[in-house]
Amino acid sequence: MATTRQAAIVGGNRIPFARSNSRYAQASNQDMLTATLDGLVARFGLQGQQVGEVVAGAVLKHARDFNLTRESVLGSKLDPSTPAYDVQQACGTGLEAAILVANKIALGQIESGIAGGVDTTSDAPLAVGEDLRRILISLNSAKTLQERLKAIAKIRPGMIAPEIPRNAEPRTGLAMGEHAQLTAHEWEIGREEQDELTVRSHQNMAAAYDRGFFDDLVTPFLGLSRDQNLRPDSSLEKLAKLKPVFGKALPEGAEATMTAGNSTPLTDGASAVLLASDEWAAEHNLPVLAHLVDAQTAAVDYVHRGEGLLMAPVYAVPRMLARNGLTLQDFDFYEIHEAFASTVLATMKAWEDPAYCKEKLGLDAPLGAIDRSKLNVYGSSLAAGHPFAATGGRIVASLAKTLHEAGPGKRGLISICAAGGQGVVAILES
Amino acid sequence: MATTVLDAPPNMAALFAKAALTARGRGGDLPETRLARTGVAVDPAEVAAYARVCRFPFADTLPATYPHMLTFPLQMALMSDRSFPLALPGLVHVRNTVDLLRPIGLGEQLDLEVWAERFARHRSGATVDLCASVSADGAEVWRSRSTYLARGAKAPEGAPEADVDVEVGELPPGTITWRIPDDAGRRYAKVSGDVNPIHLSGLTAKAFGFKRAIAHGMWVKARVLAAVENRLPEAFTVDVAFRKPLFLPSTVTLATVERDGGWDAAVRNAKTGTDHLLATIRPL
Repeated sequence: MATTRQAAIVGGNRIPFARSNSRYAQASNQDMLTATLDGLVARFGLQGQQVGEVVAGAVLKHARDFNLTRESVLGSKLDPSTPAYDVQQACGTGLEAAILVANKIALGQIESGIAGGVDTTSDAPLAVGEDLRRILISLNSAKTLQERLKAIAKIRPGMIAPEIPRNAEPRTGLAMGEHAQLTAHEWEIGREEQDELTVRSHQNMAAAYDRGFFDDLVTPFLGLSRDQNLRPDSSLEKLAKLKPVFGKALPEGAEATMTAGNSTPLTDGASAVLLASDEWAAEHNLPVLAHLVDAQTAAVDYVHRGEGLLMAPVYAVPRMLARNGLTLQDFDFYEIHEAFASTVLATMKAWEDPAYCKEKLGLDAPLGAIDRSKLNVYGSSLAAGHPFAATGGRIVASLAKTLHEAGPGKRGLISICAAGGQGVVAILES
Repeated sequence: MATTVLDAPPNMAALFAKAALTARGRGGDLPETRLARTGVAVDPAEVAAYARVCRFPFADTLPATYPHMLTFPLQMALMSDRSFPLALPGLVHVRNTVDLLRPIGLGEQLDLEVWAERFARHRSGATVDLCASVSADGAEVWRSRSTYLARGAKAPEGAPEADVDVEVGELPPGTITWRIPDDAGRRYAKVSGDVNPIHLSGLTAKAFGFKRAIAHGMWVKARVLAAVENRLPEAFTVDVAFRKPLFLPSTVTLATVERDGGWDAAVRNAKTGTDHLLATIRPL
C-alpha cells in the first residue's frame, strides 16, 4: 500500500441556491444533483469519462432516492461505470463527502472523485403518520379479506394528515433556531452584531458575484444565475425592522435576537467538487486549486449536558489544530458556516473565552480571536442560503479558489455545524 | 399558401369534438394552410409535469419531444378543420420523426409552424404527414413529421407510396421492464392535452373500436428517449415506427443497443414479444 498523499481540489460547480417553494419547486433532488454533476462534467471535460467515485447526499430524502447519487450518475454525462454512494451527516454532509473522497485519494484507492450534496425543502418527502404507517404495513401483509378489512377499520380520519419534515431535533423537540437562540442568549450575542455579520455576508457575496468570482463556480439553472436569497442592498436599518422568529425556549425576560434576516432561510440547491491526485490533475491538464490537508469531526451532548446544539465545531477545531501543530491564527481565510449569524459569533466567542477553552475544550490557553477581515470573505450561507447537504461543496470549492487566487502556501479553515450536535471541520492549503 | 398566426393554443377538447362531429363527408386534397404561433414561451411547471410523466429529468433544456406539446394542438386544429380531407377519428399515428437541431433552453421564445403534406398511398388506405418546425431567433431548432394512416381512405391520383417503416438492427433482449398502469393514458393526456378518447379509458376506447385503452405513441417514444437522454449527442434525429397498439395496462420491455453514434431501440410486449415501437436515434 502506498504512503498517503494530499488530495487536490480541482474545482467545483453548483447551481444558484433558490428560496424554498420558488424557482426550483418542481425540481427533485435527483434533477438538481444531475444538473450539477453535468455542469461539473462540462467545466472539466469529463464527458463519458469515469471518475474513481462520486459521493454525495441529501438531508431530506425520499424513500425512492435510496441510491440517489448512483441514480444521478446514471443520468449524467459521466461514464455509467462510475461507482457512487450516498452519505448523510446533516448539514455536514457535503464536507464529509469531500473528506471521504479526499481520504480515498490520499490512500491511493482512487485517483479522482466527485463530492457533492443536494437538498430541497420544496420537493420534500412527506411521510404518513406513524399510526397509519403501521396499519398500512399490516394491511400489506394481510392474507385474507377479513384481515384486510380489520386493518382498514383501524384507520381514523386524523391519521390521514402527512408528516412534514421539520427542522427540529428529535430528542429535544426544539427547532434548530430555538437551540441557536438559547446559545446566543448564553453567550450574550446581541442583535446588532448578528445583523452586522449578516449585512457583511450579503455585501461580500454580492461584490464577489460582481467581480465574476463565481463565474467558474456556479452554473445557472432554471432561470436563476445568482443565489435568490442574496440581497446586495441589505442594510442594518432594514434588518433592524425584522421581528425575532425564535425565542420560545428562552427564559422569562430574555431578549430574542434571531430574525429571518440573521438566520438562513430554507433553500433548494446542489453543489459538487472535483478532487483528484496531483498526477491525475496534471494528466488531464486541470489545475490544482488547493489541497485538503486534514479534517476532523466532533459531537456534543446538547441533550443532557447543556452544550449548545451547534457548538461541536468549537471542539473539532482545536483537535485538528493540535494534530497539525497550528494555532487558530495560522490561517489566511476562515469559512465558518453561517447557519445563523449568532452561531458564527458564539463559535468565535467560545474560542476567545479562557474559562470555556480550559473547562470544556481542555486547553491551557484560549484559541484566541481571529482577524474578522479574513472571515467568510465572499459571503456565506446567510447570503447564499443553505440547502443543507449542498453547503459543504459550496464552501470547499469557493475556499479552494480563494486560496488559489491568494497564491501558494495560503491556508484556510472550514467549520460547519450540523444537526444532532455535530461538527465537521477541515483545513485547505494552496 | 396561407399562414394563419394564432394568438393562443387552441382548445384540444373542443377540437376533438369538432373533428368527431364533422367527420363525415370529407375528401379532396390536403389544405395548403399553415398554422403558426410566434414568441411562445414554455411554462416551466408544465415542462416539469411532462418530464415527470415521461421520466425525463427536469433540467434547463427541454426534453427532445417537448416541442410536440406546443405544435400538436396546431396540428389538431389543422386536422379538425373541415378543409382537411381525412376524418380525425380513426387516424392512426404510425410513424414519427423528431429532429433536435440543438438543445432548446427552457427560457427561449419559440416560433411554431405546422402544415400537412405528402398525401400518400398505403396498402390499407392512405397516409398523411403532419409536419412542424420550431425556430428560435430566426433559426430552426426542431422539426417533426408525424405520419398518420387513414384505413380505407384513398389518396389522390398520382400520390406517392407511403413510407412508414423504420429499420432497426438486431437488438438484445430487453432488460428494462416497464409496468404500464391503466391510467397511463389519462396521466399523459393531462400533461399533453391529447384527450383522444382512445387513450382515456376502456369504455371510450371501445367506442372507437379498440378492445382497451391504448397508450399514447408519443408518450412511449418520450419514455424511450428519456431512458437514453444523457447519452445522446447535442443534435440528433429520432425516428420511430408505432407498430401494434400498446393496450393498457401492459408490461413491456425496452431493448437498446448503441449503433452508429446513436441507438436502436424497441419496445415490446413482455409476454408475447410483439413490437409496439421501433426506434432509431442518430446524430445530426
